[in-house]
Amino acid sequence: MTDELRDRLARLDPMRSDVSVEPVDSPASRKLLESTMSTQVGERRATSMRRLVPAVAAVAVAVGVIGALALNGGGQPLVLNTGVEDPTASCIVFSVEELAKAPVAFEGTVVSSEDGVVTLDVDEWFRGGVSGQVILEAPEGMEALIGGIPFTAGDTYLITAYDGVVNYCGFSGPSTPELRAAFEAAFSG
Amino acid sequence: MSESSERRDRFEELAALVYEPVQRYLLRRLNPEDAADVLSETMLTLWRRLDDIPSHNRVPWSYGVARRVMANYRRGQRRHLQLVERLEREPPPPPPGAGGESGDTELTAALARLSPSDQELLRLWAWEGLEPRDIAPVLGLTTNAATIRLSRARKKLGEGLKDRGRFRTQEDTTQEGAAG
Repeated sequence: MTDELRDRLARLDPMRSDVSVEPVDSPASRKLLESTMSTQVGERRATSMRRLVPAVAAVAVAVGVIGALALNGGGQPLVLNTGVEDPTASCIVFSVEELAKAPVAFEGTVVSSEDGVVTLDVDEWFRGGVSGQVILEAPEGMEALIGGIPFTAGDTYLITAYDGVVNYCGFSGPSTPELRAAFEAAFSG
Repeated sequence: MSESSERRDRFEELAALVYEPVQRYLLRRLNPEDAADVLSETMLTLWRRLDDIPSHNRVPWSYGVARRVMANYRRGQRRHLQLVERLEREPPPPPPGAGGESGDTELTAALARLSPSDQELLRLWAWEGLEPRDIAPVLGLTTNAATIRLSRARKKLGEGLKDRGRFRTQEDTTQEGAAG
């Protein structure tokens, strides 16, 4: 079955009109690939692992993860507590500088939200994680009070967390151009 | 055969498969200079992670690597250029002929109004020609999640086109009324 929308989108493809790319066997490509293969895999890996271990340990302590914390990209999800919205609590005034202090920050799309458990597929990590999914869990008995954000399946959210608990007060919410710009600014350093 | 020679052979085989598709993927989203930088870093990442690459889905998996390298690259650029607001909301620099050849500005505008993740899903579907099972490894999703999100993104795009149609109709009516 043909799909009209797909065909129409395909016509926007800037690479569709036989735009040439560098063939894999051209001299320039061979130079790049030879240079790549001359890189010492072991050395790079050892270096990155040395850097990774303390960083991961720091994050694990900082977020106080409830449940499984996966350290590989495709593994188990990071689990965070949604906390509960406390109307008496005072919020820190939102600023990019405050946002930048968050140890955990990501953009994710809700794939399910039920019984106080929200599962998000991570679109982008800004800080503090690598897993492909994050699960937000409401504290026991507080399933109806899943913070101040109505999580809707299919919608995209920007989330920060401190000590394993999602931070509200404007520091997490639906992904709007304004909030995303703030995240980009806060975590670009 | 030595271990390093065997590794080189495996990488050469991978490069023959993914080098050109990854270039196309990057040239759809970046200007040629940036695409060349990101290609170089992507190939290096593939070389370093050669043992982790699955035997199937190698092209989509490589798109996923390129996508992550590109995200880091863009962030680095923004930091360097101090153009956070402008760059982060702009769609990727219009590659040569984007929307121009088809002249479908209505669809280009409707696409630009979607979230970056919805836009990327639709591009992977229509430009790279991937089905949800192959979109999944690019975006780090399950096939089920990719299917659901693609369906929603298509719906949102369709609704965006309809809304635009309604808006134009109202505009036309208003103009006609003013003219009469």
